Amino acid sequence: MKTFSLKILASDRVFYDGRCKMVILPAEDGELGVMANHGDMVAALDVGELRIQKEDDTWERALIGKGVMQDINNRMTVLTEFAEYPEEIDAKRAQEAKERAQEQLRQKQSIQEYHHSKASLARALARLKESSKYPPTGY
Amino acid sequence: MAAAREIQTRIKSIQDTMKITSAMYMISSAKLKKARKNLAQTQPYFDGLQRTIARMIRHLPEMEHRFFGNGEQNPGSGKKKGYVVVTADKGLAGAYNHNVVKLTEKCLSECEDYLLFVVGELGRDYFVRHRIPIDTHFRYTVQDPTLSRARDIGERVVSMYESGELDEVNIIYTQAVNSMKEEAVVQRLLPLEKSDFSGTVPADVYVEDIRMVPSPEYVLDNVVPDYVTGFIYGALVESFCSEQNARMMAMEAATDNAGKMLKELQITFNRVRQGAITQEITEVVAGAKAQKKKKRKKS
Repeated sequence: MKTFSLKILASDRVFYDGRCKMVILPAEDGELGVMANHGDMVAALDVGELRIQKEDDTWERALIGKGVMQDINNRMTVLTEFAEYPEEIDAKRAQEAKERAQEQLRQKQSIQEYHHSKASLARALARLKESSKYPPTGY
Repeated sequence: MAAAREIQTRIKSIQDTMKITSAMYMISSAKLKKARKNLAQTQPYFDGLQRTIARMIRHLPEMEHRFFGNGEQNPGSGKKKGYVVVTADKGLAGAYNHNVVKLTEKCLSECEDYLLFVVGELGRDYFVRHRIPIDTHFRYTVQDPTLSRARDIGERVVSMYESGELDEVNIIYTQAVNSMKEEAVVQRLLPLEKSDFSGTVPADVYVEDIRMVPSPEYVLDNVVPDYVTGFIYGALVESFCSEQNARMMAMEAATDNAGKMLKELQITFNRVRQGAITQEITEVVAGAKAQKKKKRKKS
């Protein structure tokens, strides 16, 4: 299977830089799978799970935030606010963030604050969902 | 010549000040190291965003969008401009704050209607004292910039731009040119001018046909606020880095100067002490001589 180069740039670090066979991205209207030699495209991404099939056929999972993906000449760049491995997610913090956001949503807010709380809630929910899929091992 | 005791008091006080400045030097060098690391990590994202927008603008030359300018370089009067100004929370950083404030005043003198969003305690104080309108609900510190703070700031300016309260949004921050030199710069955030991005692309170059999912408008709607947030974050990190650098250099110079002053004072002190001893000896000798003469006279 052909491979292509993938770069995932989060705002605070370079999350992934290497070759892969396939990427499944959380696009705005559902999941979007991209393989090598895909037509040139730019897509908006939503908060959600991103899956990478690496060269050795193992799958890597990550949670990414809102962002944009561009795939041009077999080079894909994903630009996103944050990218985390499932085991990096702090479920407790996400739970607190979720409760905070829900509390704010219950109060009367300006439209800007509403969008802000909505976005925080979406992030918290995605983090919780992702971390619950892979319960922490050890301890 | 001052008395030895006075000089000693001065030496003591300079030594105490030197302790403070050298401690501040070490604190800011530690913070600088952290800030530099942050800056290096966010740089790829920052560059990537800029390249993506540049590419999209190149591919959609005839695209009309509310985030795009109409190519006018100097929009006429009656426009309200917003400035996000990044200063430090504290002084003692050489010319760092002064440069930002001076540049801001220069920008303000060129436009009639403006609103300032000041990040950093020191700048806020300055503008309030000079009765320059600032957004008073805009209270953010510049210590340890985080993405969520940048997101708050970004959301605020973008929503004000969208609601028409502001016609233009700029950011004034300090760029680290290299490890020794910083420079205050103004950068326009909104509207995006196609001329700022398009660069030099020869007309006959093959331009790939790019599909935008779900639609170009939707992608732009999403990318531009991200770009603004990303830019603000980058600017905050870079300013913080420059601030620590400026403070480090200022404190280094202060410590050096204190060392020089101490050396000079030590020499003066030695001279005064020697002078006092010489005088005492002269007095003793003169007294002894006088006694001898007296004795000789008696005998």
